Order: sequence, then C-alpha cells, then structure tokens
Amino acid sequence: MFLLPKGSPLFENLAVGVLKLPEVMSKLGTGSFTGYASFVFQASTIILVFEAGKLVSALHEGKDGARQTGFEALSTLSYHMAGTNGGVLNVYKLSKDLTMCIHALLQGEILYKAQELKLIDIKALLERIGSERMNGCLRIYTDERSAMIFYKDGTPLGFFHDGSQDIETSSTESQKIAGLPGAKIDLFSTQGVEHLMSLDLLEVVNIQNIWEAAVAHQQAETNKINSVREEREKKNIADKLAKLEEQVKTIVIGSVGKVGRGIVDKELTEQGGNSCLLDETNVVKFLAAIERSAKLLISTTSLKVLMEQLAKTITAAKSEL
Amino acid sequence: MEQFVELLSQINSFELIRVISWGLAGAISFYFSIGNARVWTSISIGFFLIFLGQAYAINPWVHYYKLSAFHNIVGTVAIVVITHGFLEYYVFCRTFEISGKKVTVYLFSLLILAAGGIFLYINPTPSPNTIRNFKIVENAIWVFLSIMNLELIRKIYVTIKDSPISKGFIAFGIVFFLIFLWKGSELYLQIFQWDRDWQDIIAVMTDEVSDIDNFAGRVQISTLVDKYAGFLSSLSVGGTFIYIYRLLK
Repeated sequence: MFLLPKGSPLFENLAVGVLKLPEVMSKLGTGSFTGYASFVFQASTIILVFEAGKLVSALHEGKDGARQTGFEALSTLSYHMAGTNGGVLNVYKLSKDLTMCIHALLQGEILYKAQELKLIDIKALLERIGSERMNGCLRIYTDERSAMIFYKDGTPLGFFHDGSQDIETSSTESQKIAGLPGAKIDLFSTQGVEHLMSLDLLEVVNIQNIWEAAVAHQQAETNKINSVREEREKKNIADKLAKLEEQVKTIVIGSVGKVGRGIVDKELTEQGGNSCLLDETNVVKFLAAIERSAKLLISTTSLKVLMEQLAKTITAAKSEL
Repeated sequence: MEQFVELLSQINSFELIRVISWGLAGAISFYFSIGNARVWTSISIGFFLIFLGQAYAINPWVHYYKLSAFHNIVGTVAIVVITHGFLEYYVFCRTFEISGKKVTVYLFSLLILAAGGIFLYINPTPSPNTIRNFKIVENAIWVFLSIMNLELIRKIYVTIKDSPISKGFIAFGIVFFLIFLWKGSELYLQIFQWDRDWQDIIAVMTDEVSDIDNFAGRVQISTLVDKYAGFLSSLSVGGTFIYIYRLLK
C-alpha cells in the first residue's frame, strides 16, 4: 500500500461512510488547502493532492499494486465511498514545495517497487541517481513508517518523514527507517514539478456527477442485494413452512389415517396456503377445521391428543420462523 | 296403561329384543349427533325413526289403520335420511367438505312426516290392502336404498380404511346386508302375494285363490330369512353402534 509521510494532520481517521465526496472536495477546495488527503480502505488507498485548493493529483492504488490516476481514481474513490461501510480519511497539511514533490511523485514512473532494502546495493543506487541526474523520489518505508528523499537533477532536495510539514535537511529519520527490519524502498522517476502544476482536476472532472453515478450504482447494488436477501428469506420461510406442512400432515395422518393428508391439503387451500400457519387467527381457523373433520374419524380422546400435538408443533415452528 | 301392559305381555321376547336393539342404535346415534357434523345427525334421525318404526310392535294403537300406514311412512323416511347421512359421509371422504346445517335435516324430516300425516288425514282410511301397498312401497325403498348404502359404505371404507372408525363401516355393511335380506325377503313374498297380509286379505275379503301351496319351500325359506335377518339386523345394528361408540369414545 502506498504510504506517504503523515505531515501535519488536519483530520485523522474520519469514517468515510458518513462523508460525501463532493462536500469533502468542496471543503478542501474552498479552504485553499495545500497537502494531501488519503482515503484508506481495506483493499486500496486513494490519495488526493491539493495545492492552494486545486486538486492537482489523484492516485488510487490497490493492495495488488494496481494503480489508477485522475478521473479513474476519482471515480473509484466515489464508488468506494458510496459503497463502503469502513474506510477512513486522513488529511495532512504540507508545504507547497513538499506538496508539489508528492504530486510529482504520484505522477512519476516506478523504477523500483517494494524492494527489500537489504537486498539492494543502496550505494550503487544513489550513485546512479546522481550520475543520471535523475528527478525523483526514493521512498524508504516499513508497514508503519515512511520517509522520502527527493532528488532534483540527481541532487537530494531534502527529506520528508512522518510529522514533517516541509522538506527537511536532516537525514536521521530516513536512516532510522532504513535500519528497521523489513524496510523496503520504492524509486520513482518524476518530471519537473513546474510541468505538473498547471492542472486542476476539479475543473475537468464533474465530481457531483461521478458521485451521483456512484450513489445510484450503490443504491442499485444495495437494492439488488436486498432483493436477493428477501428472496432468500422468502425461500427460507417457504422451505420451513413446507416442512411444517409435512409435519402437520404426518401428525394428522398418524391419528386419522391417510385421509388426513387430504383433510390438511383442503383446509390449507381454504385458508390460502401454508402461509396461513404464520397467522394466529388463521391457525385457530385451521385447527378448528381439522378438528371438525377429524371428529368424524377418531375418538374424542385421540382428537384431544391430536389437537394438542398440532398446536404444539405449529407454535414451536412459528417461533423459529 | 292396562292395554299397554296387556300388549307387552303378548309380545314375545324375540320382538322385544328387536325393539330394544333398535332403541339402543337410535340412542347412541343421537349421542353421536350431539356437537358433531350433520352427517351423524342424518344417520341418527334415521336410526331413531327406525326405532320408532320397530316400536310399532308395542304400540297400543296398532289397530288404527291410519297410524299403521303412518308407521310405514316413518320407516321410509328413516331409510331415506340414513342414506342421506351416508351420502354426506361419502362426500366428506372424497372432498373433505362438511357443509349444511343440522337444523335443515331436522326440518326436512319433520316436514316429510308432517306431509305424510296430512296425506293420510285428508284421504280415506286405508284398507288392509292399501296398508299392504304402503308396506310394499316401504320395503321396495328399503331394499334399493340398502343396496345403495352397501355401495356407499364400501366406498367410504376404501377411502378411510386405515382410520380408527373404518371397522365401524364394515359393521355397518353387515347391518345393511342383513337389512337387505330382511326387507328383500319380505318384498319377495309381497310381490308374489305369498305374504301373511295377503293371505289374510284374500281369506276374508275375496274369493281369490292363492298359489302359496305350490311354492311352500320358497315361502318357508323367505319367511325364515325375513324373521331371522330382521332379528339379526336389529342385533347387529345395536352391536355396531356400541362398537362405534367405543371407537369414538
């Protein structure tokens, strides 16, 4: 997962489920916010970079490493937000320079990805960055912490780590992280920062439309899921009712003989099918009808036992439905 | 009262057992009809009316011709109502429908009896020959409805044969077979004018000669069948209702 240094937190761990993307964008846009917002979901992270309220970059990265940018990233974010029950939003302020570095970084080309630091000849790599006069970012990270070193024309511009609001000159934090077990590196080659400054995604993408489409899609999905669930519940109830009907028939047949099946069938049909066994009034009517018929076939004592058995079975089954 | 006691003393035990058995059947069937569907009400009224018909033997006013004729009407209504009851039971076994009100059966029975009474009241007093005609009509209806009842009982039994009450219908089958023999043999004698009534009529009222002596064997067998099948049917009907009472208790 793409993990950026945290910067100065504006919001942390806001539940995404209660947020609406257009409102979030509007708030960050109108507040001339500079920094980045990261939406962390279970399966992916989406980072939006703002410079003075302009959305200059959007990156979606899945757990599998797949990336989307721009419109696609915003669209994915909308669907995730509209459909999520989890996910958090973190917003960190950064200096303009640092923001532009991050922006450049997000648009950059991946040269190394998730390489184990201990397996890399770091000295040779740094020499290569210098000799090739590379623009880019070297990210050193673990699962919990990260730090970045920005390079311009092969020369380090500075360091950026958790809690920084700006590019720093001290490499201590980066070295600490590099020394942690399991530390990895990413190397991104970037274009010049100035080249990337001109775009404001909010001007070219209609967030409201994306959001409404996502909500509508989510609503349709929810309706579909609800519909499937209702069908499943109906089928479940129908199965249980069919089972209860068979139980009732077995009991009546046990007392009055095979003719009991016909009696039960007829009375259930009269009451509108076996679903009548769910309704107290209909159950009373059904039992009275069974009693009236059974009276012609069995003794008073057997009739009493039969009726008790039926009432008990139906009550027990109803409590499970 | 004295007349009644005298009459009782004239009744042989054979007749008395018949009357008691039919009375038992009437009483138990009436008990079944209480709080039950009208299926049993029809059967109950029918058997109760048969009891009344059989109790004719101990009726002190037996010599009144109109009453005698009414007795035959009662007997006819009895078998009609019983058949209606079995028919409804059969319908129930096939469709599980229990419809109609008991009061309809009571009213229907009363209405038919009342109509019969009015018919006898507004017409001349029946002669012995007319009363014999009433008996023939009654016996004919009994014979054919007994056959119908046997078929209904068979069908009911087939439908409910694993039910507790099913064996009761086998007993009913035996009852109606005996009734068929009883009434059938009497009807046979009447049709060929070998019955006691006809012999009395021709002996007193006409010069007609009977051919009864030419068929003494058949007459004797039919008379015996009439006597014993009638007796056994009364015993079997009493036993059947006691048995069904035990089944439904």
